[in-house]
Amino acid sequence: MNELTVGNRGGTSLSIPTEARTRTGTAGGFSDALSNAVAEVNNLHQNADKAVLNVQAGHTDSLHEAIIALEKADISFRTMMTVRNKMIEAYQEIMRMQV
Amino acid sequence: MDLITSFKISGSGLAAQRAKLDVVTSNLANVSTTRTPEGGPYRKKTIAFAAENVAGNFSSAMNGAVQSVKVDEIREDPNSIKRVYDPAHPDADAKGFVALPDINIMAEMADMIAASRAYEACVTAFDSTKNMVQKTLEMGR
Repeated sequence: MNELTVGNRGGTSLSIPTEARTRTGTAGGFSDALSNAVAEVNNLHQNADKAVLNVQAGHTDSLHEAIIALEKADISFRTMMTVRNKMIEAYQEIMRMQV
Repeated sequence: MDLITSFKISGSGLAAQRAKLDVVTSNLANVSTTRTPEGGPYRKKTIAFAAENVAGNFSSAMNGAVQSVKVDEIREDPNSIKRVYDPAHPDADAKGFVALPDINIMAEMADMIAASRAYEACVTAFDSTKNMVQKTLEMGR
């Protein structure tokens, strides 16, 4: 499980580095780290939504900023999914263990 | 991997090249404009870019080495006026000469192509950063 926590922290620092770094300083549990990661991903998605809305409403003319926001959200989501898949994999590995 | 920085730099490049394309378009559109709010014919505009340190989280080795771009100024060339003989023109002077903006359409088209190629290059850089991240996520799969 320890390895997973480390992997997940990598994921958070990918999306919002400064905040995540201060947070990893304190010894938070795995569920804390996971819910924080999900919150960051959600935050990036909301930013992307706002950017796209702004472009479509004509408030801004920088289409590329909206696309970049979308890509950031996409990448953070993929990172989160990779972490989740790793976690499930480890869980299944443990469940298959003979006792 | 600091993808945020890379995205920021690509984004600044896209914005800068778009601004350049705006200036070129303005020059092309006003190639025969004789009236402006400031008076006189349209003056050819040129854009200048400046490098800018990226604010954010850099490792010390990268600090100041990588820079994004911003639009520094858009300058009007006050002397870019040519006098053409056209007595029928409403803005012709007593001798029949009209002051027109001295804009070389070929040079503007070349600038336009350069701007759109640079824009494409920024998009490619962005895509390749994204590919790097996706390949990283595929690691150990």
